[in-house]
Amino acid sequence: MTLKHRIQRAMRTNPIKVVVPIVALVILAFYVFSSDTVSKSNSPYKYKKHSDDPYDFARLPGDHITHYDLNKLTATSSALSHKEKVLILTPMASFHQQYWDNLLRLSYPRELIELGFIVPRTSDGDEALRNLETAIKKVQNPKAKTIPKFARVTVLRQDTDAVESQLEKDRHAFKSQKKRRSQMATARNSLLFTTLGPFTSWVLWLDADVVETPVNLIQDMTGHNKAVLAANCWQRFYDEEKKEDSIRPYDYNNWVESDEGLRIASQLDDDEIIVEGYSDLATYRPLMAHFYDAEGDPNVEMQLDGVGGTCLMVKSQVHRDGAMFPNFPFYHLIETEGFAKMAKRLGYDVFGLPNYLIFHINE
Amino acid sequence: MDEKFGPPINSRNSPLTHRIFGLLPQIFTIIAVIATICYITLSDVHSDLYSPDFDASNAVNTHFYDLEGYDGSSEGWLDNERIIFCVPLRDAAAHLPMFFGHVRNMTYPHHLIDLAFLVSDSKDDTMGLLVTMLREMQNDPDPSMHFGQIEIFEKDFGQAIGQGFTDRHGFSAQGPRRKLMAKARNWLQSVALKPYHSWVYWRDVDVETCPPCILEDLMHHNKDVIVPNVWRPLPDWLGGQQPYDLNSWRESDGGLQLANTLDEDAVIVEGYAEYATWRPHLAYLRDPYGDPETEMELDGIGGVSILAKGRVFRIGAHFPAFSFEKHAETEGFGKMCRRMGLSVFGLPHYVIWHIYEPSTDDLKHMEWMAREEVRMQKQEEVMKIYRKVWDTGFQSVKDTWEDEKVRILKNSDPFKLSRHVIVDWSDQ
Repeated sequence: MTLKHRIQRAMRTNPIKVVVPIVALVILAFYVFSSDTVSKSNSPYKYKKHSDDPYDFARLPGDHITHYDLNKLTATSSALSHKEKVLILTPMASFHQQYWDNLLRLSYPRELIELGFIVPRTSDGDEALRNLETAIKKVQNPKAKTIPKFARVTVLRQDTDAVESQLEKDRHAFKSQKKRRSQMATARNSLLFTTLGPFTSWVLWLDADVVETPVNLIQDMTGHNKAVLAANCWQRFYDEEKKEDSIRPYDYNNWVESDEGLRIASQLDDDEIIVEGYSDLATYRPLMAHFYDAEGDPNVEMQLDGVGGTCLMVKSQVHRDGAMFPNFPFYHLIETEGFAKMAKRLGYDVFGLPNYLIFHINE
Repeated sequence: MDEKFGPPINSRNSPLTHRIFGLLPQIFTIIAVIATICYITLSDVHSDLYSPDFDASNAVNTHFYDLEGYDGSSEGWLDNERIIFCVPLRDAAAHLPMFFGHVRNMTYPHHLIDLAFLVSDSKDDTMGLLVTMLREMQNDPDPSMHFGQIEIFEKDFGQAIGQGFTDRHGFSAQGPRRKLMAKARNWLQSVALKPYHSWVYWRDVDVETCPPCILEDLMHHNKDVIVPNVWRPLPDWLGGQQPYDLNSWRESDGGLQLANTLDEDAVIVEGYAEYATWRPHLAYLRDPYGDPETEMELDGIGGVSILAKGRVFRIGAHFPAFSFEKHAETEGFGKMCRRMGLSVFGLPHYVIWHIYEPSTDDLKHMEWMAREEVRMQKQEEVMKIYRKVWDTGFQSVKDTWEDEKVRILKNSDPFKLSRHVIVDWSDQ
């Protein structure tokens, strides 16, 4: 009996036995042949027959060539009158409404501000991302015509590992500092080097837990016309002893190098780091946080050797020349402190404003 | 069961073929189910992580990127991985036609390649020619020739040194020159790299010969940073060929010792007698018959043709415009990548060819060779006239002289004469 007869008979007795295999064969053939590739005469590799083109560049008009003259890019003391663009970068492990409200209060025109956020690959990051999305959609929604829009907003999900726990005590444990700061540096770099655009004149690093700054923050800080300039980060708290609201220094990463710091550094192995604020490693470096004078002129500048990232104004050319946040010990320094060292190696001076306060959230 | 129709197809007693035929529906159903499941899981990878949804209708000028989606893989061209192709240019008009010839021939899907150029300190018409050639390429009737996004940046850095071969390659010029070039590369990288770039390719314009599938050739090694070997052809009088790029090397004890003796801002440059490092160079390890797939781990690399993952630049690796571990620019980049724990490799037996630019000494020698050739020609002409004048002005008397010589010198040749000559050898 031939196969044909057999199939005919099977069709009569039980059509499913014929239809199902044929359908299966068709599906199988589809999978085997649909992923087919093509080869090219001048290459030993296989290529996709129909390559996706999500950006549709191939169909753009032929002279779609953009041209930017970076010689015209300036970063001057009168940023506002020169309409210089500022990129505000924030690594965000958790979203604080006060941070966002403060950001929206800044008086610099929003069409000159670009925002960049990076969230870690954790469940904390997920939550921050949801809140951030809601907040951004309120401002950038085209239907909300009365709200001024930011020139550009980029939100990134970090690809590299991040420490799960961001609890205050875990965050500051001395041993975990190197790893945490290294991952932080990687996050900062990923954010910086994917958002820095051809029109960016200034980069303002503003931490997600900075909840209070002067409204003229950008004008004030660019006005000093410094390559790298750090504000003094303090914290508001309730003083249990005095029974009143008070303030205390918070960011100890803004410092001036000391002989003791250099001496300790010279004795360390290449891959060891020095971090400020731990009694285990007393460097006796003058810390900008301690130089605050409530009566003093807020425009007073002091030269620094290490900076923190809580509120840091950087001329974009410093980053473009290559100054980044080392995720490895660079002169025994890491992250923002390593950045200050690298900026100095590139010939830039680093300054701080001891009397110009911004406030960190109190958790 | 009616005998007329033969045994039932599911019968246990049926021949093997019948039994397999009977099982076919089940087999195919299972295969189809598995294939469907595979297709669904592979084609649509669901992440547990939350992804916001921004578009022009709910948030203007707002974009979200999950950077993990843009990690490079070994067969990026099959996964739609985008490359940013970075080209620093300076007075490069003469090389552009050759460069565009290579670019057009590239086999990596063109629409996945974004081009970024930095034109700096150019006195020739680099800019004009670049735009013309790009327009021509992007208006090609064949859409598969068209590249992705194209950006040209201009930025002048000034320069203390000329662009002649010897100016550029003299020893004292190296440190400052390399730092300036590093700055140029960093400026280009800082504006060219977008979140969606999985790969970054750095290429000099003055490469003469290079396989069209170089991107795939380098990419399939799946390294963070990888470079080919770079040689250059030479005229016959200089030996035919020569290693060109000596910046790709592995660190040696000699190199580390030398580094320790130098001050903080010094930059070690390879290929100069002043800094003998005894490092193994990628260029010298070439075997023309060696396996082009052979990999070699490197510490310093050259910049003629670098393929790196986008992630390398995202996490902060760059071309140090200062002395980083006593190195700058591409060599410093190699060192920094190693410091960051990234893989840096070279392919000793996979070679691309840089153009030959004669050095000042070579130029002098070539001038001398040219002068010599002219001189020889002139001399030949002078000799012709000289010979003619000689022939007409003088008569050869050589044969006659041969005849007469014996007779004339008859009395002067002591051996032909039978004269007995007595010499008095006594002292007195």
